[in-house]
Amino acid sequence: MDGDIALTVSNLRTYFYNNNRCNKAIDGVDFQVRRGRTLCIVGESGCGKSVTASSIMQLLPTLSRIEEGEIIYHAENGDIRIDELERNGWQMRDIRGAEIAMIFQDPMTALNPVYTIGFQIGENLKYHTKLTTRAIRKTCIDLLGAMGIPLPERRVDEYPHNYSGGMRQRAMIAMAMACNPKILIADEPTTALDVTIQAQIFELMEALKREHGTAIMLITHDMGVVAELADEVAVMYMGKIVEAGSVDDVLRNPRHPYTRALLSSIPVLGRGKAQDIRPIRGSTPDPFDRPPGCQFAPRCDFATDACSRLPAEENVTATHRVSCWNHREVADA
Amino acid sequence: MLTYTLRRIMILIPMLLVISFLVYLGLELTPGDAVEYMIPPDVANTLSREALDELREALGLNKSFLERYWIWLTNVLQGNFGHSTSGGVPISQIFLDRLPATIELSILALFFSTVIGCTLGTISALRRGSASDSLLTVAGMLGVSIPEFFFGLVAILTFALNLAWLPVGGRLLPGYETLWDRLPNLILPALVLSLMMTAGVMRYSRAAMLDALSREYIRTARAKGLPEWRVNFVHGFRTALTPVIVLIGFRLPTLIGGSVIIEQVFQWPGVGNEFVTAVRSQDYPLVMMIALFSVLAMLLASLIIDILTALIDPRVRLE
Repeated sequence: MDGDIALTVSNLRTYFYNNNRCNKAIDGVDFQVRRGRTLCIVGESGCGKSVTASSIMQLLPTLSRIEEGEIIYHAENGDIRIDELERNGWQMRDIRGAEIAMIFQDPMTALNPVYTIGFQIGENLKYHTKLTTRAIRKTCIDLLGAMGIPLPERRVDEYPHNYSGGMRQRAMIAMAMACNPKILIADEPTTALDVTIQAQIFELMEALKREHGTAIMLITHDMGVVAELADEVAVMYMGKIVEAGSVDDVLRNPRHPYTRALLSSIPVLGRGKAQDIRPIRGSTPDPFDRPPGCQFAPRCDFATDACSRLPAEENVTATHRVSCWNHREVADA
Repeated sequence: MLTYTLRRIMILIPMLLVISFLVYLGLELTPGDAVEYMIPPDVANTLSREALDELREALGLNKSFLERYWIWLTNVLQGNFGHSTSGGVPISQIFLDRLPATIELSILALFFSTVIGCTLGTISALRRGSASDSLLTVAGMLGVSIPEFFFGLVAILTFALNLAWLPVGGRLLPGYETLWDRLPNLILPALVLSLMMTAGVMRYSRAAMLDALSREYIRTARAKGLPEWRVNFVHGFRTALTPVIVLIGFRLPTLIGGSVIIEQVFQWPGVGNEFVTAVRSQDYPLVMMIALFSVLAMLLASLIIDILTALIDPRVRLE
């Protein structure tokens, strides 16, 4: 079962339309998510990580749409082309929450303040299973208990404002895991939480992956998280995946200048104040006024004349792919 | 919840006392005293100063302000509201006559405006940007900005005079016994009274609904695979309800205070109409009581709002 492909995204393009201008938020993205594995999508703000997740869930805002490409969910009884389903149609709704679940960045705002936690977790079960009200309540309590929430039989009737941030994110995970989905998409699940809680949440996600064989797609901008949790990594920049591969490939042998720059911009604990942190120079280009070729070229230390054309994707090894004209020079540097 | 309610009710008592004092003080500060209003000037001129003083003595008007306030307060607390100076009728009797008219008018108007306003506002929010939304927005603007007496006159002109479908005004005619008999008289004032409020409720519920629908928990609800109606109504509308309830709640005082303008336009014999008459004839005991009742209604309304919002929004229930 492990390693089976759960989700294939190929050549996905999602565009946003705004004042008659088109922002190519995702511009040709390919990746696969496997059962029992974690794919981390890394990149800075605005690179299209969250839009990728929203595209898979068909939760895009009104003024955006999937223009091209395929999102294939490999269900037990055949493949489903998610991109061809109606946005809020019944087929899409049957997948959401039951087959593919999502947890969001900020658990403070992602839960409805006027309903109890039990009600909100129960809704998921009510629409995707045939459980009775009593059984739903029991499942909710069990789920909360499994997520490490103390006194779940009492907590189930409490409101989000009675929960701390970490507990709310656990409740969100309980909600997402209620129907035992095949794929869990976590969109920066710990960005709004403090570091000690972060570790607990990740431990929880690791356990889910081990016990249920859930495929996890984790969106983050934190390289530390990647090193800790990822099996595979995809680095995104300006709507494209610039480098992807196994966690060892990408972190130990980065081939794209952007990946390298990301890695050298992280402070390392214990090296003291004197350590050399190199921020990436410049800032991300305006999405409406993009560089013609490689999107990273204007900020890149390895840029050459070739970079004014869009680089093709090359396979470094069977698992490791990179889009850079000069990736050999980057590897040698 | 019970302690919360009790505590809220307890706060009302000192507030009411303070306000009654302020109203009494306000009337005290108006020029002249009750005797001057009771007795027409031409009669007063024929009376000697001693006779007038004697009358003041008899009415207790020569006592100090605080003393008079105390006497008035203890009487009111015992249920003795005093008499109208212009007609000599007990004020409690006036309330018994006038309140039912005002209440039936206000309840109907409140019902119309709540149901129609919430429905239209929600439709408007769910179809944001559509033609129907723009139309409703314009209608809402007009409804809020045009004064109600204008609508009242237009309605009388159209439906009562030109089309002659409904009576011009008034409430009771000889032989009218049930609510059904006076329903034709009730419809126009109730509709006109509700018009402005409908517009307000509509604009408010549209804004509240749009705000609720833009929240992240709406996306969470969709991500759970809930059908759209459930996302919009269970998650959207329910959270949008709190501000709308507050708005509607603040209209509750008209239940007792009456709508001065509409009652005038339609000759509706309610509290509002009586209030105007009382002010014109400088009937201070009556003005005082109506003002006090309006204040009481306002306080009760805010109490009801607080209890309702606490019921709807668990965050309010905090100890």
